[in-house]
Amino acid sequence: MSGIEPHQIHLRAQVLVVGSGAGGATTAALLAEAGFDVLIAEEGPWVDQDTVTAFSLEQMDRQYRSGGVTVALGLPSIAYTEGRCAGGGTEVNSGLYFRPPLDVVERWRRDFRIDGLDVDELDDIADEVELAINVTTVPGNATPASEILRRGAAALNWRHSEIPRWMKYPAGGDAITGKRQSMTRTYLPRAFAAGARMLVDTRVDRLVSNGLNVTAHVTYGDGTGRTPGGAITAAHVFVCGGAIQTPALLQRSGMRLHIGRSLAVHPTVKLSAKFADEVNVPDDVPVHQVKEFAPDLSFGGSASHSGLVALALTDEWKTFAPAIEDWRRMTIYYAAITSEGRGWVQAIPKVRDPLVTYRLSHRDREVLRSGLARLALLTLEAGATEVYPSFRGAPVVRGRGDLATMQERFAASKASVMTVHLCSTVPLGEHRDRCGADSFGKVHGADRVWVNDASLLPTAPGVNPQATVMAFAIRNARHFIEEQSLRQPHTNRGRT
Amino acid sequence: MLVMRSVPSAPLVGPFADRLLALDFPALDPARRAQAIEFTIRRVDGLPSVIRFGVTVIAALFRGLLAVPGGDAVVRFLARTPLPLLGEYVRMVRSLGYAYIFETWPDTRADGSCPVTQEDVPA
Repeated sequence: MSGIEPHQIHLRAQVLVVGSGAGGATTAALLAEAGFDVLIAEEGPWVDQDTVTAFSLEQMDRQYRSGGVTVALGLPSIAYTEGRCAGGGTEVNSGLYFRPPLDVVERWRRDFRIDGLDVDELDDIADEVELAINVTTVPGNATPASEILRRGAAALNWRHSEIPRWMKYPAGGDAITGKRQSMTRTYLPRAFAAGARMLVDTRVDRLVSNGLNVTAHVTYGDGTGRTPGGAITAAHVFVCGGAIQTPALLQRSGMRLHIGRSLAVHPTVKLSAKFADEVNVPDDVPVHQVKEFAPDLSFGGSASHSGLVALALTDEWKTFAPAIEDWRRMTIYYAAITSEGRGWVQAIPKVRDPLVTYRLSHRDREVLRSGLARLALLTLEAGATEVYPSFRGAPVVRGRGDLATMQERFAASKASVMTVHLCSTVPLGEHRDRCGADSFGKVHGADRVWVNDASLLPTAPGVNPQATVMAFAIRNARHFIEEQSLRQPHTNRGRT
Repeated sequence: MLVMRSVPSAPLVGPFADRLLALDFPALDPARRAQAIEFTIRRVDGLPSVIRFGVTVIAALFRGLLAVPGGDAVVRFLARTPLPLLGEYVRMVRSLGYAYIFETWPDTRADGSCPVTQEDVPA
């Protein structure tokens, strides 16, 4: 891939972008196209999509942080995943697209005092994003696992729809032939075409500002051993490492005010449902979602290859074990909630990775309980013969009569709770008691350091946040470009 | 944390993972079990620093129990009893092992046995 820079002891750039996911890649592309000299530092490797099977253990090894085994401690602990590769989470997520929820954005503007936040502007940016990443519905029929969601919701008269994805499908292709239009296929090539450079396998350990420049101290390599280091000096730094790594880097660099204190996630619980026919699609996810109880509660489908089905059955293996032999007739579904709980991200001196904690509220636990029961009902209505909820002590659910037992036995502390949507660790706005960054992402009290990723979203948006992250990132990048133009109207901002 | 990184997890996690998977999958081919254990150890080595510290401490406790007379029965009890914290370690080892076994050999039966395939038949 042109644009990849060799590791060097000392590098310079006008703008350093840390991270290359939904926030970082869009920021880099816009700034490079505006003439800035942009260098992207990505902690993970560059992995071509075609060289790895989606949702496989191999993908987790190559493209996820810690092989996908990351957890926010609490009762229960919540497993989460972070992309750690060029393109970040956009390379490994489901590719399901939701426009920024404008009612939520309006509430953020009011509650967090976000200056200059125009919901119509954000809506227009979403149109741009949809073109850039080719948001579209699947050609032809959805997969059987997706059809189950549609059928179950229709039988219950619950609101549901097909969620479009950022995918390109070949002519005559079907639901599973799409190519994800992730950052390595869209905004990163745009950034390179405009002159941006990128370092991969480069971890930024801390930032040091002298008022005129910011120096990023970096280590090279895959992070498993002692590796040579280097430094990158830039006039401006955009930190876009995601809702866990961004606050950790800021804290290691001495920036702590309202940083990492308000982690928000969409906790999910899951179940496996067995049907009469083969319904399993190992390396794709359903495109239908059920929004009857949104924003509190949503239902969708997960990747369901044989290893993941086994994983979903482990909590009650002694009862559920025989089901694994029918994994081709099974698929995994989840209930995701909008949580009232909050978490912390805390960098610890001399320790490489931050401590992450999350505490569910009482209401969260009750919504998870009712959510799992409703999800089980939905799969039964869609024709499931047996349902296996993922919590210790769960019964096999074979009909409506078993749902009450399931609800009685459920406790969030016994469940495998997980999440993939992490945000809100550096909320933006002028509310100084709550916000870590200003209305356009500049870290309060810091020189020349901006945040431009999911960390900025003041709360969890209740839907897949990627489009909202991209829309905010583009808005903030444009504001930065305008601001710099006013400061240096007659100079060439570009290469020095 | 450099200290934690220098503590190899294989001698601590390996014996317990071996015992647990042998218990859960009595018919699993030992060579396959060894591969699953190797995978589990690799993932433990890659855990985030703080989690790895906690896992190493618990793994050392389990390893110690395996080494004393009667320890085997205690570990078997712990593997079946979902205790707070200690139970999370069992859950993690189990999850990693199961995910590897069933992704790598999808036709594995619930007891760990596998249907005979063409590859298994001597020419």
